[in-house]
Amino acid sequence: MTSSRKLSSLVIHLLLLLWLVLACLPIVWTAIISLRQYVDAFSVPVKWLAPVTFENYTRLWVDKAFYRNFYNTAIVTVGTVSVSLTVGCLAGYALSRYRGAWGFWLLITALVFRSLPHSTLLPSFYVMFDALGVRNEYFTLILVLVAINQPFTIWMLRSFFVNIPQELDEAALVDGCTRFQAFRRVIIPVMWPGVVTTGLFSFLLAYNDFLLSSSLVNAERMTMPAAIANAISADSEAFLMQGVAGAVSITIPLIILVLVFQRQIVSGLTQGAVKG
Amino acid sequence: MRLSTVLRFVGPSAGLMLLLLALPLAVTFYLSVRNCAVQIETVTVTESSPFGTKEVVTQRAVLGPDGRPVTTCRFVGLEYFRKVLGVDTQGSTSPDASGSSAATNHASTEFQGALRFTLLYTFVTTPFVLLLGFALALGVNHVAQRWRPLYISASLLPFIITPVVGALAIKWLFRDNGLVPYFLSQFGVSLFWMAQAWSARLLIILYGIWHVVPFAFIVLYAGLQSVPQDSLEAARIDGANAWQRLIYVTLPHLAPLFIFITLIHLMDAYRVFEPVVVLTRGAFTTSVQYLTYYILLQEINPYKASAAAVLTTAGISVLLIPLLVRTWREHRRTG
Repeated sequence: MTSSRKLSSLVIHLLLLLWLVLACLPIVWTAIISLRQYVDAFSVPVKWLAPVTFENYTRLWVDKAFYRNFYNTAIVTVGTVSVSLTVGCLAGYALSRYRGAWGFWLLITALVFRSLPHSTLLPSFYVMFDALGVRNEYFTLILVLVAINQPFTIWMLRSFFVNIPQELDEAALVDGCTRFQAFRRVIIPVMWPGVVTTGLFSFLLAYNDFLLSSSLVNAERMTMPAAIANAISADSEAFLMQGVAGAVSITIPLIILVLVFQRQIVSGLTQGAVKG
Repeated sequence: MRLSTVLRFVGPSAGLMLLLLALPLAVTFYLSVRNCAVQIETVTVTESSPFGTKEVVTQRAVLGPDGRPVTTCRFVGLEYFRKVLGVDTQGSTSPDASGSSAATNHASTEFQGALRFTLLYTFVTTPFVLLLGFALALGVNHVAQRWRPLYISASLLPFIITPVVGALAIKWLFRDNGLVPYFLSQFGVSLFWMAQAWSARLLIILYGIWHVVPFAFIVLYAGLQSVPQDSLEAARIDGANAWQRLIYVTLPHLAPLFIFITLIHLMDAYRVFEPVVVLTRGAFTTSVQYLTYYILLQEINPYKASAAAVLTTAGISVLLIPLLVRTWREHRRTG
């Protein structure tokens, strides 16, 4: 009995290790070859060890001015997260406190919009933003990302707000606060964990977006993933290796994010599921 | 909370969604039945050259009073729908906004092909995501507590990685002279993964599974923590073996989570985009979202792209209607 249990435990450990390798291999291998020259990165037979060089990174960040794309990403993500959370908190709070049919229908409509493939909006964005002359602006991209993110944001924030007892608002209202004061002074301070978790997902959406950034703004305002897409069509060896270095550069902040905020990400993923 | 207060709180969010989601969607529907083109006139001009003067019939853009070309917009009905669906056999009679009629015949503009692969991707990845995610959740739930954060952290990586980067990493792994082809060649398998349709599609599907399994795993793992221990204990005392406990106690408890994961994955899989761009560049396979993007950016034709977008919307509506009906019924039942 115990020996068979030990055996099954060993098998489970081995299978989990196999998953660990499969999950990390693409990223780890990309990180390894990013430190090599092309001939060492893609060679037959595969080289397990090769001379380390930072050439790909210097070419990308210095010669190709990848710091500009990093700067664009910073602007777009910071903008998206702050607007998204401000607007979303207000709506999520009200929807958590309101029991009427309108709230339900707004949430359902939001859910429908969440399922909409983003490219269906692109042709109108082109025509509308060209007519207004606001295509290729940071704020256009930010507002579009906020709008696309809004359905998810208000669903998630609402599910956090629902957990905060109504008595808290009522006490504040009795003490002479307006609704808004109660929201800002009493509710938001106890909501920080929920706000941080939702903010993380807003950040991921803006940071990982490729479709909108690559189509709504010109090359000099593109975020990192859109800029890296140039590596897709590049068959030249130097270009390719810069793409590899860029891919790793994009991933490093995400790895830090996982290590720091693992608990919040997990709670965010399960929030919608457990609360329904 | 009074409705007027609610409206003031919800206003900014609802306004943004109205302006940047609902309105553009309506505009897309409007654009899909229209076409705007630069007005062309046929004129006879006298050309003088060192070889004499002759009259030449040529086409040029009509210039308005402000000196800019005059653009006329008109209702074209379902013309672009026919084109996107590939049923346009009588040929184009109206000028393409892009002027590139050759691109219209490109295989990647066929909506059916795009839809077929999108649905294939959706329905092939879903069972793998659920099964592998559940297996991982059970496995991690089985190992000692101190190992679990490691597995969870490492599993989160494929899920939160930038899709373009993830797809590129897979591509570089499977590229000629890459790690996987080399590994396979040790077993006598020689395959250029990105050189034919079936393997390119397989790669996209593999990417999809790799990318989404962690999500299913985390949700189901959290669900496993909330399985009532006394029910499991009671089943054990009644003589149920591990398999029976799994089937009759654990699975029913997790059923809502399986539905939740399926719904979320259905929505996300329907808009599969980045791996299609990265892994095939649309050469061997397309997805519905890629189709709109391609027509808009490569053919520079927002009207035809709108037609593709409207068809895309129709597709997701068909997939979602059962869900909406169910939600509505539940809402009516619970009041």
